[in-house]
Amino acid sequence: MTSHFIYLSILVASLGTYFCRAFGVFSARNINADSPIFIWIKCVSIAVISAVIARIIMFPSGILNEATTFSRILATIVVLVAYFSFKKNVILAILSSTISFMLFNHFL
Amino acid sequence: MFSSQSFKDGIKHAIGVPALGLGSSMFAFGAFLKSAGFDIYQSFFSTLFTFALPGQFVMAETILAGGTLLNVFLAVLLTNSRLYPMTVNIMPVIRETTTPKWKQYLAAHFVAVTSWFNMFAVHKKIKQEDKLNYFIGLGGFLWFNSILCTVAGFLFSNLVSHEVLIGLVFINPMYFLIMTISNLKEKKMFFSIFFGATLSILLNNFFPGWSVLIAGIVSGTLGYFIFRKEIND
Repeated sequence: MTSHFIYLSILVASLGTYFCRAFGVFSARNINADSPIFIWIKCVSIAVISAVIARIIMFPSGILNEATTFSRILATIVVLVAYFSFKKNVILAILSSTISFMLFNHFL
Repeated sequence: MFSSQSFKDGIKHAIGVPALGLGSSMFAFGAFLKSAGFDIYQSFFSTLFTFALPGQFVMAETILAGGTLLNVFLAVLLTNSRLYPMTVNIMPVIRETTTPKWKQYLAAHFVAVTSWFNMFAVHKKIKQEDKLNYFIGLGGFLWFNSILCTVAGFLFSNLVSHEVLIGLVFINPMYFLIMTISNLKEKKMFFSIFFGATLSILLNNFFPGWSVLIAGIVSGTLGYFIFRKEIND
C-alpha cells in the first residue's frame, strides 16, 4: 500500500462520487419540482437511503462490524422508542441510543 | 453569494445537531484512517474531495483488502450511487431558471444525506431566490466541519477508546434513521422506507454490491405507483 496508490485511490473515489452528483445535476435539467417524475425520484431517493441505513445496521463495513449485530439492532430499537417517547427530540434520542449501544456492546 | 443573508442562514441551520450528527462519525473515520496506516493529508483529502462517509469507509477497506484502482472506483460508485437520485431530486427545488450552471455543479458537491433531509425540512419557508445560497451555506458548512472533524479524529484518536469510536460511528446511521422516519407522513414514503430497508437486508446475501440500489429502485417505484393517487405533501 504505497502513498502514491492511496492518493490515486482517493482521486478515483472522489471522481466516482462526484460523478453521481454531477450526473444528477445534468439529469435534473428538465425536471420540474411539481412533475410526477419528481415524486417518483423522491420515493426512490428515500428508499435508497433507507436501504443504506438497513445495510449499515445489519452488514456494516468499517469498524462498526466489530460490534455485535445484536447490539446494533437493540440500539436501533432504542433510538426509535426514545425519539417517539421524548416528543421527537433528536438529541435525546441519539444520546440514549449511542450510550445504550456502547453499553450493549461492552456487556453483551 | 457568501455575503448573502440566506447563505448565513444556511450555516446557522447546519451548526448544532446536523453538524454534530455528521461530525462525530467523521471524527471516528479520521481515527479509523490513522489506525489503518493512512497519513493526515490523505485523511484531509478524502473528506475534502469525497464528502460521503459510507463511500469513504468502502474506499479505505478496499485499499486495505488489496483491491485495485478499478475495484476502488466501482465499489465507491455503487456505495455512493444514492447521491444520484438525491441530486436529481433536490436540484429542481433549490435552483431557478436563471441559476448559473457552475453554481449548480458547486452545490452538487454538498449533496449528502444530512444536507438533503435538512434542506427538504425547511425549503417551503425559504424564498425561491434564496434557496440555492441557503443550501450552499448549509451543505458547505457541513462539508467544512466534516473536514475539520476528520483531521481532529486523526490527531486526537489516542484520547478516545476504541469502544467509544465505534459508538461515534454509530451516531451517523442513527441520525439518518431519525431524519428518514420524520418523513413518514405520506403512505408512499412509509412504504418506500420500510420496503426499501427490508428488501436491502433480504437481497444482501444474493447481490452484496447491488442490494442497496436494487432495493431502493424497486421499493421507491412500487411505493410511487401503488400510492400515486395520494395527495403529495
